[in-house]
Amino acid sequence: MKKYLKSVIALTAICAVVALLMAATNYLTAPIIEQNESAAANEALLVVMPEGEDFELMDLSGYELPATVTEVYAESTGGYVVKLTTAGYSTGLVIMCGVDAAGTVTGATCLASSETLGAEKTYGEKTVGKTAADIDTVDTVASMTKTTGAYRNAVKDALNAAVILGGGSVDLRSEEEILKDNLSAALPAAEGAFTPWFMVEELEGVSAVYVADNGSGTVFVKGEDFVVDPALAQKVAESKVEALDLSGYELPTAITKAEKTASGNYVFEVKGSGFGINGDKYYAPSGEPIMIRVSVTPAGKIIACETISQQETDGIGSACAEPAFYTQFNGKDESNYKDIDAISGATLTTNGYKTAVGKALEAVKILEGAA
Amino acid sequence: MKKNSNISVLFKGLLLENPVFVLVLGTCPTLATTQTVIGAFAMGIAAMVVLICSNVVISLLRKVIPDTVRIPCYIVIIAGFVTIVQMFMHAYLPELYELLGVYLALITVNCIILGRAEMFASKNSVAKSALDGVGMGLGFTLALLAMATLREVFGSGSFAGMEIPFLKDHTVDILTQAPGGLLVYGLLIFAVTAITQGRAPKKTSFGCEGCPSAGNCSACAEKEEN
Amino acid sequence: MENTKLLISILFGSILVNNYVLSQFLGICPFLGVSKKLDQATGMGIAVIFVMLVATAVTWPIQKFILEKTGLEYMQTIVFILVIAALVQLTEIILKKFIPALHKSLGVYLPLITTNCAVLGVTINNINDGYTFVQSIVSSLGCGLGFLLAMVLFSGVRSRIEERKIPKYLRGLPVTLIAASFVSLAFFGFAGIVENLLK
Repeated sequence: MKKYLKSVIALTAICAVVALLMAATNYLTAPIIEQNESAAANEALLVVMPEGEDFELMDLSGYELPATVTEVYAESTGGYVVKLTTAGYSTGLVIMCGVDAAGTVTGATCLASSETLGAEKTYGEKTVGKTAADIDTVDTVASMTKTTGAYRNAVKDALNAAVILGGGSVDLRSEEEILKDNLSAALPAAEGAFTPWFMVEELEGVSAVYVADNGSGTVFVKGEDFVVDPALAQKVAESKVEALDLSGYELPTAITKAEKTASGNYVFEVKGSGFGINGDKYYAPSGEPIMIRVSVTPAGKIIACETISQQETDGIGSACAEPAFYTQFNGKDESNYKDIDAISGATLTTNGYKTAVGKALEAVKILEGAA
Repeated sequence: MKKNSNISVLFKGLLLENPVFVLVLGTCPTLATTQTVIGAFAMGIAAMVVLICSNVVISLLRKVIPDTVRIPCYIVIIAGFVTIVQMFMHAYLPELYELLGVYLALITVNCIILGRAEMFASKNSVAKSALDGVGMGLGFTLALLAMATLREVFGSGSFAGMEIPFLKDHTVDILTQAPGGLLVYGLLIFAVTAITQGRAPKKTSFGCEGCPSAGNCSACAEKEEN
Repeated sequence: MENTKLLISILFGSILVNNYVLSQFLGICPFLGVSKKLDQATGMGIAVIFVMLVATAVTWPIQKFILEKTGLEYMQTIVFILVIAALVQLTEIILKKFIPALHKSLGVYLPLITTNCAVLGVTINNINDGYTFVQSIVSSLGCGLGFLLAMVLFSGVRSRIEERKIPKYLRGLPVTLIAASFVSLAFFGFAGIVENLLK
């Protein structure tokens, strides 16, 4: 029994001494280990914020941040390092962006991506020094619009996140959401369901028209304002297009459909050659034309223009389907319709589009007997 | 040489009783950490520190530790030192700590250390035990370095991270992988056996009794047959 | 579904691709020492699987609910090795008392397992890899099965070696290690197979 007791005491004593020694070592080394680890973590953060001091991972609950934001580190002088996950050409584009206390980008770097073109590797450098006000002036890289555009938007999200975390508020709605909200505010009776009306009539100062699906009214966009104008609505409701008798006219072959309104305006559907078809040559990927709808006054002024369908390269030429591109033609005429901003990286698409719009203007001249 | 003189205690570990090539103890780290010279060196030194410390402490306590619970006591002491070394490496040599990974913790079950505790430290004076620790530690480190040098020079075409012209373009990649490790180890044991030509003492007298596998270990059995 | 897939990939990954013995070098001592005869190799393998499973089932909760809660993570190694040593003792006592037949066949291998680095290795790796309890158990099962597989396969190789005349200085360990190298080379071929099978 005594021997047994002695064994137990000896083992316990040894365990206790060893545990004490370990605790002492831990007491000595734990702070250093922690320091090392935070230094290693900071190293990545310092890449995007070279002058940053101490970083601390933030608890983001309670903040409504852009959906791309995954992690935020608060910097001791009031800046933030924001980690974002977005999708460029493919998903999983992870970006780390530093924003200083003044809301200026101090650096952005791509942590992970499966993009094919590699533009994401250096694009971040272009955003350095930008603020929320001028971030949109950073050009996307030609032929890598989708990747770099997503990158830029992520940096923008980081800037917005910094504002929100600093106690400010930022409009996080997408353009579509803003449009929908504005329309609903102008005409609540429509219950948010609107169909855009292709403008075939010249309406003074109006850039776009949306008709409520439930027939409760029509909203006109005049500059920044969204207005309900019964007089104009009457005009829209009465507007009618009728197929045109083309016998005796020889229109450009690109014109696939020609119509005329009661007020004398022409509405054409034009086949444009994009990257798919360049002249007679066929390129990958689709070989499909861009279909464009244009309305023109008898005097040859473009009222409105829109893309009906297109098969251009996704992320590059496909920008021709966006209003930002085709509404540039609105109000233009023969003298200046070519002075629009080209789609970056898609010269063939832009040129094909312009040529198609030109064909419509040509057709008006023929139909008006001017040519 | 007088048996157990301090000098012989120190030097026997280098070749004649080399823990890796002759006693064949501690094979796991020998194979796992010898992909690079730096890793092997770090492992060797870490194990040596643990070995010296545990040898000294166990020798000091050899009159206190009751025979019945000696193995658990040794394990506790060894595991304690391993953890302490681990913490210091984590604090001051974080790169090496990452490199060695789980094998650092596994020094605890390295037969060399338990074997020396059981076979030497529990029977000899503190000074001799410390010398034995140094000798065995050096032998272990040198063996690891020899393995690692062969594997890194011919496997990656570099030495301790420095590229070697010509060899870096003609690497035998398999040497850095698992099969290469076993192959190099086998060939080195062959070389050492050929050099010592059986002058190597019988394994059983050096730590196999300390190894719980002794009874069933064919490696031990073979040595006995020799 | 995703979960089952993950478990399967952990299981086969640890049996074939990351075989503890042949690619991670854990448990090499018994692999070289006890693989001479098939029955010994099988007995050792089964005993290792058993201890690995029990050790994981005990150490995982200890780590998560005691060490991490009290900030004593640095006690991991010492606690784990003591738990394993105690478990091995306990298993032996229980087997001896209640299932003497099993004790007779496995008993001799149990004490060897305390210092088998594969057991300590698997418990620590499960924690380091951030596995859940179920994943840890599956991973331990895989590692144990992988150990058994390596032992059984290698005992076959060794019985062939025994029959051959080997040059003097290659006899014993050197030729065993070189043979092990070739078995390991065979396992090398499994790299990448599990991920792709489950794609």
